[in-house]
Amino acid sequence: MVTVVHPNMEKADAKMSARDVSVYYGDKKAIDDVSIDIPTKYVTAFIGPSGCGKSTFLRSLNRMNDTIPSARVEGEITLDGEDIYRSKMDVVQLRARVGMVFQKPNPFPKSIYENVAYGPKIHGLASGKAELDEVVEKSLRRAGLWAEVSDRLDDSGTALSGGQQQRLCIARAIAVDPEVILMDEPCSALDPIATAKIEELIDELNGSYAIVIVTHSMQQAARVSQRTAFFHLGKIVEYGRTSDIFTNPLEERTKDYITGRYG
Amino acid sequence: MSPAILLVLALGLGLAGWLAARARAWTFRRDSATGRIAALPNYHGWYVALWIVIPVLLFIGLWSIIAPQLVTQSVLAAPAASDLPSFGFQRNAILSEARSVAIGNSSGVFNPAAAALVEPYRDALAKFNLIGVLATLIIAFLTGVWAFLRIKPDFTARTRVERAVMAILLFASLVAILTTLGIVVSLVFETIRFFGMVSPLDFLFGTHWGPDPMSNPDNPDPSRYGAIPLFWGTIYIGAIIAMIVAIPLGLMSAIYLTQYANPRLRAWIKPALEILAGVPTVVYGYFAALTVAPAIRDAALAVGITNASSESALAAGLVMGVMIIPFVSSMADDSIAAVPQAMRDGSLAMGATTSETIRRVLVPAALPGIVAGIMLAISRAIGETMIVVMAAGAAANLTGNPLEAMTTVTFQIVAMLTGEGSFDHPATLSAFALGFVLFMVTLGLNFVALRVVKRFREAYE
Amino acid sequence: MMAEHTVKAFDEDITRLRGLIAEMGGLAELSIQEAMESMVNGDESLAEGVIARDKKIDRLEAEVDKLAVRIIALRAPMADDLREVIAALKIAGVVERIGDYSKNIAKRVGKIEGRKHFEPLTLLPAMGDIATEMVHDVLTAYAARDPVLAREVIATDDKVDAFYNSIFRNVVSYMVENPATISSAAQILFIARNLERIGDHATNVAEMVHFAATGNYPPDEDR
Repeated sequence: MVTVVHPNMEKADAKMSARDVSVYYGDKKAIDDVSIDIPTKYVTAFIGPSGCGKSTFLRSLNRMNDTIPSARVEGEITLDGEDIYRSKMDVVQLRARVGMVFQKPNPFPKSIYENVAYGPKIHGLASGKAELDEVVEKSLRRAGLWAEVSDRLDDSGTALSGGQQQRLCIARAIAVDPEVILMDEPCSALDPIATAKIEELIDELNGSYAIVIVTHSMQQAARVSQRTAFFHLGKIVEYGRTSDIFTNPLEERTKDYITGRYG
Repeated sequence: MSPAILLVLALGLGLAGWLAARARAWTFRRDSATGRIAALPNYHGWYVALWIVIPVLLFIGLWSIIAPQLVTQSVLAAPAASDLPSFGFQRNAILSEARSVAIGNSSGVFNPAAAALVEPYRDALAKFNLIGVLATLIIAFLTGVWAFLRIKPDFTARTRVERAVMAILLFASLVAILTTLGIVVSLVFETIRFFGMVSPLDFLFGTHWGPDPMSNPDNPDPSRYGAIPLFWGTIYIGAIIAMIVAIPLGLMSAIYLTQYANPRLRAWIKPALEILAGVPTVVYGYFAALTVAPAIRDAALAVGITNASSESALAAGLVMGVMIIPFVSSMADDSIAAVPQAMRDGSLAMGATTSETIRRVLVPAALPGIVAGIMLAISRAIGETMIVVMAAGAAANLTGNPLEAMTTVTFQIVAMLTGEGSFDHPATLSAFALGFVLFMVTLGLNFVALRVVKRFREAYE
Repeated sequence: MMAEHTVKAFDEDITRLRGLIAEMGGLAELSIQEAMESMVNGDESLAEGVIARDKKIDRLEAEVDKLAVRIIALRAPMADDLREVIAALKIAGVVERIGDYSKNIAKRVGKIEGRKHFEPLTLLPAMGDIATEMVHDVLTAYAARDPVLAREVIATDDKVDAFYNSIFRNVVSYMVENPATISSAAQILFIARNLERIGDHATNVAEMVHFAATGNYPPDEDR
């Protein structure tokens, strides 16, 4: 079975491309022969039922699967045309260019300032205290958190509310000035108001970064993304403009899933 | 003999109560319209059984304390006892001789005065045994019937049994706490006695230790009871040398096991480390005294240090450090493993390497747990006795040279209690004061460690 | 035909919505028939019935609106469900207009004089039949989610238009020859105009049926 790619999608520059990618956990094939182009200036949403492999695929885009000993990736994934799984690829550099925000907000048990400064410090992106301050402020502003935390940068990041923590994690991710931001169900632990703030933030970041978001909420995918890929049983069933996927999907399985007839 | 019979009797009565109550509850259940009663028949059975067994056990406990006295009194009231010597010691000897014959523990008597008492003893024992059995039966019957009569279809036997179970569990946990309290109290009494002879100031701040068990107990020389060298030896061996070995090795092995080792290797190494914790300390003592200490002395001689002692603080401290490694490593392992995976992923996703992640995120996050582990390890190390007894020597030296012999609080407690001094000699009593100080210090360390661990738990759950 | 939703109540809502549209369509179809019948026979009481029925169609439309809004708010329909609900919303409005045109025809029943010998009247029933058939077919297509039948309905509209043009020419020449009956003849023109509009609206419904079923409007050559 081949992925149905909507023919009416405008051509867009591909930031990342996957070609015939399969991911195994031990003997289990979690991703089966997936090919997709992630465009530079759009938000791409991965939707699909639990266990369909969308998170696994997302984690293979910045090689986070490397941290799982039994995981194995086949096929080719490129970032700006460079194969990220080639042996010379520096994983550290890759992850600086392809940032990630997780399902559960995971600020480090450090101060808000230190959380944001973490990435710039380990990558040596700021040459002095003043420059670091600037990066931290800029990142917090972009993440829409500056007004709420500017007077308590020394407080622990874990003392913030769930939604603030998640925005702190986004600020932390953008502090190293990545090109792609991967988000793995970033709002699943948040209430609707905090979710709306994150969605607004994604909207604002759209255009500056290629954003890939995995979400269980189809409404969320519809609200924040311009491209949607529907994953099912480790394959991408259908990939197209979000507006098309949600109003007029071509594949029966996509339609059944998004209209709530799945299973 | 008689308590055992009573015990069997109690359990038998309990079983009978259980069966009767259960049968009765079954009839309720059969008769009720819905086939439902407030509690299952078994619970009614347990309710009655508990009401029989617990009062009876309480009675048996009480009876086994008062019955021997009642027996003795009744024997003394017998005419044959009138010509007993009034002097306590001899009189008791005769009585106990007669008693052991009466019970059947010994076959004959040496003392003719005792022979006359055997018969009254037998009578009294038989009489009070009978009384005991009868009283048990009566109590069991009364409480059992009372409980049995309370059983009704809507009787909430289940919640009551639940409460009884809770009370029994509470009692079990109180036993340990009360024992600890008892230890503290006895320590405190003896310590106060000691401080009545030697001033606490001399004891806590004096720098010379050399109690003489043969000296005049009424006029101790306070200058020989300065415990500072012992405290120093304890801290130097247990908290400094041992920790210099245990903290880095324990921490690094924990980091290796949690972050780098593949699961198969971890499955081997972790149990191996735990076996290290199970080695009897006396074995470590051998090792320290027979292998490590001579090796250190030879090494010291080889580099030109001629005054190295064959028993040294260094030998004891090193071996103790090895012994403590599993403690530090398993606490550190647990607390590093308790840092959420998300934290690690977050750092790796920022482009940090594994060692950066460990240094900047995992260890800081796990620090409270690691510190608590170290504190527990220290309190374990300073309470450790066997290794220092065998390898550290007995000389109370106040020195910073690790190659010299040193002594510790625990060693001196052993030495003083097993020494030649009489039991109320201040030299012997000083062991209790030392024990008390040691107890307070370990208690303090454990307390702080638990507080730290608690704060740590709150941060992540 | 389609798999059921995981949430059964969603299916019930959709079924009910379709039922309301079908009921509205059935009433509208009946109204056209009866309006034409009363027109031909001068049966004013039948015409009264058509006028009264329009109230009922209006009420049904309001009900469809409410239900559709509720489904959108509570069920957040997606893809074909969303198209289905949106189409139902629009179809209800169009069917209501068809009902209005029928009422309009029924109102003109009393205004035609000398019915027996009024020649232009004989031209109308055939056109009325075609309009009725279009409405009937488009509702069948809706019920069956049948885009093919919907496109046939769209094609039929040309016939209605042709009928209208021919009636227009006939009536105008009749008016020139018989100036005395000009006001009655003008009524005939209006009725023909109403039937032509009904045909257009049936076409609109057909387009929506096609959209709901396929996600696309029918290609231009059909319209």
